[in-house]
Amino acid sequence: MTDIQVLEAVGEPTRLAILEMLKDEPRTVGVLASALPVSQPAVSQHLKVLRDAGLVRSEKDGARRIQHLDPDGFRLLREWVDSFWDQALEAYRESFRQADESDDPGGG
Amino acid sequence: MAMDPVVKLVTVPTAPEKAFRRFTEEIDAWWPRRSHSVFEASCVAVRMEREVGGRLYEVSESGEESTWGCLTAWDPPRRVAFTWHPGREEATAQSVEVTFRAVEDGTEVRVEHVGWEKLGDAAEETRSGYDRGWDLVLKRYVASLGKR
Repeated sequence: MTDIQVLEAVGEPTRLAILEMLKDEPRTVGVLASALPVSQPAVSQHLKVLRDAGLVRSEKDGARRIQHLDPDGFRLLREWVDSFWDQALEAYRESFRQADESDDPGGG
Repeated sequence: MAMDPVVKLVTVPTAPEKAFRRFTEEIDAWWPRRSHSVFEASCVAVRMEREVGGRLYEVSESGEESTWGCLTAWDPPRRVAFTWHPGREEATAQSVEVTFRAVEDGTEVRVEHVGWEKLGDAAEETRSGYDRGWDLVLKRYVASLGKR
């Protein structure tokens, strides 16, 4: 999956609600759909997006398929956010160095 | 949420007032627009409306705006906080809090980027000021779980 895929996967309210529910406990598509104001096929489609993004895993339990959060996907998401702010804050800090070097008599 | 908060610390060689002003009022002077925006190469400006409820947004070459979030706290020179949903639906916003603390070498700036488990707290802060729908969808869904 790509960073963009993960960000788009978590950026939709129904998918976010699905992730919140799976955080409590793994569930089947049917149970998820019964708790959401969208159809079961719609929930299945959202789950596919979440699986493709690496955030959800599907496991067989007898005749059922249980949806789980995938910690690897969240680790990647967190790493992306971490890197995002590393870069932003480096630019922020750099802006003070440049100000110092420009010898601004107004106090920088 | 399964994603723990991200906390970053950086110390800048200036007083908190200036550190705060640079982060907020002067955000356009340093924010890495090309890599950290929705419009990317077309992003020409980043703006922060400096009050609770104010928008944090970017502007494109053609004048189009994309809102990244809204301020939930404005407390110069100590603290600024905002919801965070660049390129995403407001209902999926996360939360960013930036605090500024005087230290011997200048100011320690702390950025905390929180996932969704603290959205409820941020929602309480914004609720008194104005109507924001970003928390309503999520709260509705989560509340529906209580009936199960």
